[in-house]
Amino acid sequence: MNTLLEVSGVSVSFDGFKAINNLSIQIGEPELHAVIGPNGAGKTTFMDILTGKTKPDEGRVIWGERSVSLLEMSESQIAQEGIGRKFQKPTVFEAQTVRENIAMALKNPRRPFDLLFKRRADDAEARVRAISDEIGLSDALDQTSGALSHGQKQWLEIGMLLAQDPRLLLVDEPAAGMSPAEREHTTDLLVRAAKTRAVVVVEHDMEFVRRLNCKVTVLHQGSVLAEGSLDHVTKNQDVVDVYLGR
Amino acid sequence: MERSFFAKNPSALWFLLGLSLFTIVVTILSEASGTALISTSFLKTLGKTLCLCLVAIAMDVVWGYCGILSLGHFAFFGIGGYAIGMWLMYARTAEIVVTSLENATLPPTPDEITNAIGGQIFGVVGSSDFPVIWAFSHSLTLQLLAVVLVPGLLALVFGWLAFRSRVTGVYLSILTQAMTLALSLYFFQNDTGLRGNNGLSGLQNIPGLEAQSQATVSLWLFWASAVALGAGYVLFAWIVSGKLGSVIRAIRDNEARVRFLGYHVEGYKLFVFTITAIVAGIAGALYYPQAGIINPAEIAPIASIYLAVWVAIGGRGRLYGAVIGAAVVSLMSSWFTGGGAPDINLGFYVINWTDWWLVLLGLTFVAVTLFFPKGIGGLFDLLQKRKGDAP
Repeated sequence: MNTLLEVSGVSVSFDGFKAINNLSIQIGEPELHAVIGPNGAGKTTFMDILTGKTKPDEGRVIWGERSVSLLEMSESQIAQEGIGRKFQKPTVFEAQTVRENIAMALKNPRRPFDLLFKRRADDAEARVRAISDEIGLSDALDQTSGALSHGQKQWLEIGMLLAQDPRLLLVDEPAAGMSPAEREHTTDLLVRAAKTRAVVVVEHDMEFVRRLNCKVTVLHQGSVLAEGSLDHVTKNQDVVDVYLGR
Repeated sequence: MERSFFAKNPSALWFLLGLSLFTIVVTILSEASGTALISTSFLKTLGKTLCLCLVAIAMDVVWGYCGILSLGHFAFFGIGGYAIGMWLMYARTAEIVVTSLENATLPPTPDEITNAIGGQIFGVVGSSDFPVIWAFSHSLTLQLLAVVLVPGLLALVFGWLAFRSRVTGVYLSILTQAMTLALSLYFFQNDTGLRGNNGLSGLQNIPGLEAQSQATVSLWLFWASAVALGAGYVLFAWIVSGKLGSVIRAIRDNEARVRFLGYHVEGYKLFVFTITAIVAGIAGALYYPQAGIINPAEIAPIASIYLAVWVAIGGRGRLYGAVIGAAVVSLMSSWFTGGGAPDINLGFYVINWTDWWLVLLGLTFVAVTLFFPKGIGGLFDLLQKRKGDAP
């Protein structure tokens, strides 16, 4: 397992409030890694920093074999480097069909003229089909995605992430609002995806994290409180205090 | 699995058929064909309307599809008009001057000719020197290039600055308003060299076509406008369909999400902003020879707001909606303000439509925005739905 992403000494504050405080974390490839923590622990800000939405006040974020810094890149450049993000609230393009949503995410040249003159892989249709099979939406390809159920939208967004074929997948609370059966399906998807790439799941539902059966990092007040297997961290007194002590 | 363009865009096919039919009918009824059921001045109104429809579909692409509420696209339209107007005015004046100097006892020197032309054109602003920006006015080719390049470059630079700084929403609208206002004020100045508030006039006289009657020239310009509208419709239908259109609509709905998919959103906006500005410039270059005159008031901010109103009333996010909106509202506008609509005498007050048309238009706009957000184009959805419901 090689280190794919290295975050070291990152801090960011909003109006004096330290959302992230000297945070260091390493992600390998392939790896399934869960980040847990109570509300306000800085989970979402952590993702914002990795994807270029928020620029940290200090610290380094180093990516890939060439050890490039992500901090100088725009959101779209980071996405093209291979970091995909799934938001907490499913954000698919509701006015467009499932097929259009997936096709838009497919890894292809991404400049306007590339799209206008159709410079893209010939197997686009096959890839859309393969992904829709994986997320169980192959019968809904021509449906407007706004008409999908909440769980289906979550999957569609995961499908769009897979279509991007990223090296690192950031997933924010994927199981929120899902039925038990849907959760199981989601767990399968993530575990399978993590066989070939790095997957970071942000979650505060311990039960879901237990199913993922992976390395866990506990965030608290913007820094790492504990790291290790779920059993290991749940025995940690600090974690018990933070999670159960109030 | 590639389907043909018209299979993917059935509205483009219907539109081209309708436009062709309209052109044929108007041609048959025009003065040039001898039937003269349509007067030349009404023919010009129809030709101008086609140009307004063309700038309206450009507006629809930038606003209805890409979500950029530009309140400055009429400035590009005006620049196109000025660019062609400079050649029209120069070449026409040159012809007149050369003809009148032919009878002089001494043959005129080139300098004398230039001065005479300059005096004719710039006399109204108390000058006879050619300003620098008229350097290419002798060349039709170069001025035609300017019709495309000047609006295109202005949109490119303006858009690059605005989109790069992530100016969006109402702030961008205000910025585009400021742009068109600044441009209009700049054109109003005599020093700019575009004859200040006099503008450019006599544009209906096309140099080299003096032998033709206005009826014939107007018909030709009408045809040119129809061809441009048809071509513009197909161009934009092509751009907004397929994957590019998918990304453009996605930017309208959630621009941040599109960024996280790895698309350089600013590049897309710049592309859409610039190409629509170029089409607006071409529409203006066809409009003003039919109008005969252009002055800086044409590119005042209100003109660009009208453009947005037409598209809103016609129905955003569908090209034929923009065409319907521009055609219906601009024709009604010239009917109401041209004294076509009879005044309504209420006994205690007379509603004079020349004054009250704007109130009616404003109320219509508010009503459409509140109650029919899909505009007139939304009626087609209802029709289709009804057809679908029928057994």
